[in-house]
Amino acid sequence: MMKALGPLSRRRFLTASASLGIGTMAAPYVARADDPTLRITGWGGKWGEVMKAEIGPAFESEFKCKLQIDSAFPYLPKLQASSRSAPIYDVMHTNSNEQWAAAEMGLVEPKIDAKLVPNLADVYPYAISDKIVGVSIFTSAIGLGMRTDKGYSGVTSWKELWDAKYNGVRGGYVIPVNSLGQAFLMMCGTLFGKGQLDLDAAYMALEKLKPIKIVDFTGAMEKMLLSGEVGMCVIHDSGIYRYDGQNQPTDFVSPSEGVLSLEQVLTITPGSKMKELANAYVNYMLRPEVQKRLAETVWYSPANKKVKLDAKYDAKLLTTPEKVSKLIQVDWKWYNERKDEIDQRVNRIFRA
Amino acid sequence: MQGTASHSPSLAAPQQATRTAAAARPYGRYLYLAINIAILVFLLAPIAVVVVFALNPTPFIQFPPVGVSLRWFEKFFASRDFMHALWFSLEVAVLTTVSATALGASAALALARGNLPGTRLIVATMLSPLMLPAILTGLALFQTYVLLDVGRPTWGLVAGHTLVTLPYVVRTTLAVLHNFDTRLEEAAQNLGASPLRTFFEVTLPLIKPGVLAGAIFAFIVSFDQFPVSLFLVSPGNETLPVTLFNYLKFDLDGTIGAASVVSIVLAFVVVIGLDRTVGLRSYVKL
Repeated sequence: MMKALGPLSRRRFLTASASLGIGTMAAPYVARADDPTLRITGWGGKWGEVMKAEIGPAFESEFKCKLQIDSAFPYLPKLQASSRSAPIYDVMHTNSNEQWAAAEMGLVEPKIDAKLVPNLADVYPYAISDKIVGVSIFTSAIGLGMRTDKGYSGVTSWKELWDAKYNGVRGGYVIPVNSLGQAFLMMCGTLFGKGQLDLDAAYMALEKLKPIKIVDFTGAMEKMLLSGEVGMCVIHDSGIYRYDGQNQPTDFVSPSEGVLSLEQVLTITPGSKMKELANAYVNYMLRPEVQKRLAETVWYSPANKKVKLDAKYDAKLLTTPEKVSKLIQVDWKWYNERKDEIDQRVNRIFRA
Repeated sequence: MQGTASHSPSLAAPQQATRTAAAARPYGRYLYLAINIAILVFLLAPIAVVVVFALNPTPFIQFPPVGVSLRWFEKFFASRDFMHALWFSLEVAVLTTVSATALGASAALALARGNLPGTRLIVATMLSPLMLPAILTGLALFQTYVLLDVGRPTWGLVAGHTLVTLPYVVRTTLAVLHNFDTRLEEAAQNLGASPLRTFFEVTLPLIKPGVLAGAIFAFIVSFDQFPVSLFLVSPGNETLPVTLFNYLKFDLDGTIGAASVVSIVLAFVVVIGLDRTVGLRSYVKL
């Protein structure tokens, strides 16, 4: 028979409050008992949901470890602030531009050892090219997003974004803080100048792109396109395809000049005490079945050539050597070296 | 003396002045009302936009709204991540309120009557977390914890929140201590009360308005704290503002609005709860 609780006295209230407080503070230590822990970074949203529900637990079970996923930005300053010999992360997952910055500071290893990560043999060349630090496990294609209910038909080129008919409904990014915006700036150099590195041509092109609605997060651009506030914008394919089946009047255009690559990159930190587990994790994330599950959840193109996606995804994502050959990779090392100067200049352009 | 004659008050002058004042009064009243309404609109409009966003069924901000739906509230309450973050934020806010109130009120008492050397400097130091960008406070604490090799414990997060909420308690308690009559304490002790009894039965009831106001500030500031939490949360133990920030990078839908409405309601609940339990209304003019 259950004993009835007496009235809540001040002493009992204080004891209960103190227990709750101590419990809250001690819980993380109690939960992490003796299993080795691999500390990684990872995205939120759908990616985070699948990682927490399926991919992560399966890894923990197979490798008898705990996977501690930090999905709270910013990753690079935290890694910078931690000790080189005892870094806060073992594996860092982020976009390529940030990985290059980390590599330049010696915070991550520039390359993954193919002997320790056998699945590296099956990735497309772009995933381990000289434009990549670590390995790209997925990529999105940056191209143009458009409304299909506004009569904007026959769009095939990046240059059509400059068409005056999109004045007032053109969308772009706050370049200093958004990878898509930064990649697009490099594309402007290719479109109107001598190539990616032609910044003067890129700046002139940006001037001519005004008026333009700019946002900092890609998610905000998706919503502006869905609401009709923007009719034509720079966006990645997954930002459009994720609304597949919802009858949204939006579509993704792969411009004839090529699509920019927005890579999801994994690197290992030099000071990690879990090197073996870290390499096992990278190898695990490149497994065809893991790649397929994540690709079909978030509409990212898998880096592993052997992945066979369902027809719906296969038709739209970059899953063949021919489609992958349309990817244009950005020289982030070059970009990062000039980032301050570029930031100042583009801020001036869009402030005016 | 012509000048004197011209300035001497006539009988008609007060009547004229009364008529002018009466005529001007309605305009002044309208202006006063208009200013008050403008201030209220300025304060409440952002909340109204959040509520409209939370109740709008479309997955993007749309005005005028196309209908009323609770789908975003359902999504918010069904999400394990959001629920965990909400409860964790509440726990951290409660622990922060307790620690900031205890430390802040004690510090204010010591500063107000301790005859400490360099009191002004100490007060300025205690208020300095308000001057420093909170994101730097968060980064500095994070680096300190890393150097101490303690990781990112929950007590570290509570300590960070306490640091940025302490100035509110110190300030509000110092304000009520400014006119505090110490003879009341002396009288209690002359009548045989111990220092502890004097504190609980004389001092605390008198400084209660300031302490409570500081505690409310501490709770709300901690519950909404983002820049300090950004660096100090540990994986799996993210506060609600950090979870919302990470969420909106990928999904900018009405769930953010629903979470904001829940936060606003919680703030109201705390204030009303304090009013009902400790009679806040008799101490603080709300």
